[in-house]
Amino acid sequence: MIILPYGDSALLVNFEQRIDESVNQRVIHLQKTLVGQEGITYTIPAYCSLTVGFDANVISENQLREFILDIEHIDAPVDKGTTYVVPVCYEGDFAPDMDEVCELTGLDKEEIIKLHTSTPYRVFMLGFIAGFAYLGKLPEALQCPRKQTPRKAVPQGAVGLAGFQTGIYPTEAPGGWQLIGQTPLKTFDPSQDMPVRLQPGDHVLFKAISEVEYEGISDSIKFGTYEWEVEND
Amino acid sequence: MTDTLKLHFLKPGLLTTVQDTGRFGYQHVGIPMNGAMDKHSARQANELVGNAPTDPVLEITLMGPTIKVEGSGFMAITGANLSPTCNGEPIEMYAPLELDEGDEIRFGRPQSGCRAYLAVGGEWQVQPWLESASASAVQPDELTPQSLIKKSSVIEIVSNDALPEHVISKEDILDLSDLGIIRILPGPEFSQLSNLSVASFFSQEFIISNDSNRMGYRLNGKVRGFEPKQEVISSGIIPGTIQITNSGQPIVLMADAQTSGGYFRLGNVISSDLDLLAQMKPGEKVRFVLTE
Repeated sequence: MIILPYGDSALLVNFEQRIDESVNQRVIHLQKTLVGQEGITYTIPAYCSLTVGFDANVISENQLREFILDIEHIDAPVDKGTTYVVPVCYEGDFAPDMDEVCELTGLDKEEIIKLHTSTPYRVFMLGFIAGFAYLGKLPEALQCPRKQTPRKAVPQGAVGLAGFQTGIYPTEAPGGWQLIGQTPLKTFDPSQDMPVRLQPGDHVLFKAISEVEYEGISDSIKFGTYEWEVEND
Repeated sequence: MTDTLKLHFLKPGLLTTVQDTGRFGYQHVGIPMNGAMDKHSARQANELVGNAPTDPVLEITLMGPTIKVEGSGFMAITGANLSPTCNGEPIEMYAPLELDEGDEIRFGRPQSGCRAYLAVGGEWQVQPWLESASASAVQPDELTPQSLIKKSSVIEIVSNDALPEHVISKEDILDLSDLGIIRILPGPEFSQLSNLSVASFFSQEFIISNDSNRMGYRLNGKVRGFEPKQEVISSGIIPGTIQITNSGQPIVLMADAQTSGGYFRLGNVISSDLDLLAQMKPGEKVRFVLTE
């Protein structure tokens, strides 16, 4: 781990520069320990780095460095966060790139759905737009490149693939990910005190649903009766 | 004694938003900071009318709004000189002005700088989102509808009728007549730059491109010999970060920037100079120097 100055009011903590669950676990552990400490203004955990903003009137850069080093001496406990079960409809118009992904991976639709729902994915980081969670890593057989030409508008709830990553669009946005399904759930809800449901270090397990089930869940969300399903292990 | 003052926007201006010091503590879930671009001038405007430095102000860009005043209170304008007038009379900047019922505030030709800050003493009745009144750059209509000024927007302020004695000394006012040299600190990937690239970056005068905005300033010009050895794994970016795209073009991230990116980070503009850069306009020339 190295601590780099990052402007005059932030530090960048760089871990081993590779995308790996154990490295990211250290990032999130450090982030969770720093949040709420006096003088820390914001944190940006990423795959293998943590940006830490500080208020120099409250804590000096050196004090913050020492604080980070002290935390790093303690072994990060294994913390899987919350595992959410996210229903996804992989059918018809909800999956505009399914054919392309079949071609790219050499798998048929059923195999793709089976693989995509086979294991919980880690929320490595959020970024790009508010609440966009980078989930991974995908089974190798499912990995495929981004689209040649990005879409101008990907709908809210669209579930896409890009390389080793999978993700859910929290709001409508432009994007080049291969879209294989859509969830009726809202991962971004601005009316909540914490508008973003998926937090760094949480996990997501996808569950295949039919178009009829999709509409049912949509209605239940509209009426405010939907409860997110959490996997207990 | 309090009074209510209403600002009625007859014309919104080019880009007029409500901003405070920013939306901090949500960057780990990808929410941009937002907030005033020139925090120094925004703070001074608030000081002049007796508000807290973190209170909301109007950020007015190049072409200002036309505002009709209902009620009374105190106002101050700082930052860019956009030729403000009250009922046709020039407004003295960096000084409080008493507003009365029916006053009309207008702006004219931009004389210096890019963003003016207008503070009104009292409590702004603007619905915050995530503890900040700053206009959100994304989905402003859903998230911060009152903070993006449109034609016939109204802002209500429960105004103070007393004014503190506060004078801003000349030395504390940003000098907008001589912008163009911006101090930076080396960024996370700086040490990977070749000598040629370092020399090329610091010897060049970059031109601020037309597609520069509150998210970032794109600079016309290229860093020579820029061949990053390894890809940067997506990592945190903050206002002031200078990214170099793969083609060698620099982008300085500003207040509304997204929170992560995978470009090479050459340096970070120091906070005080980010306020100055925010006062520069497309077409103007900027040069960077390394500082301690």
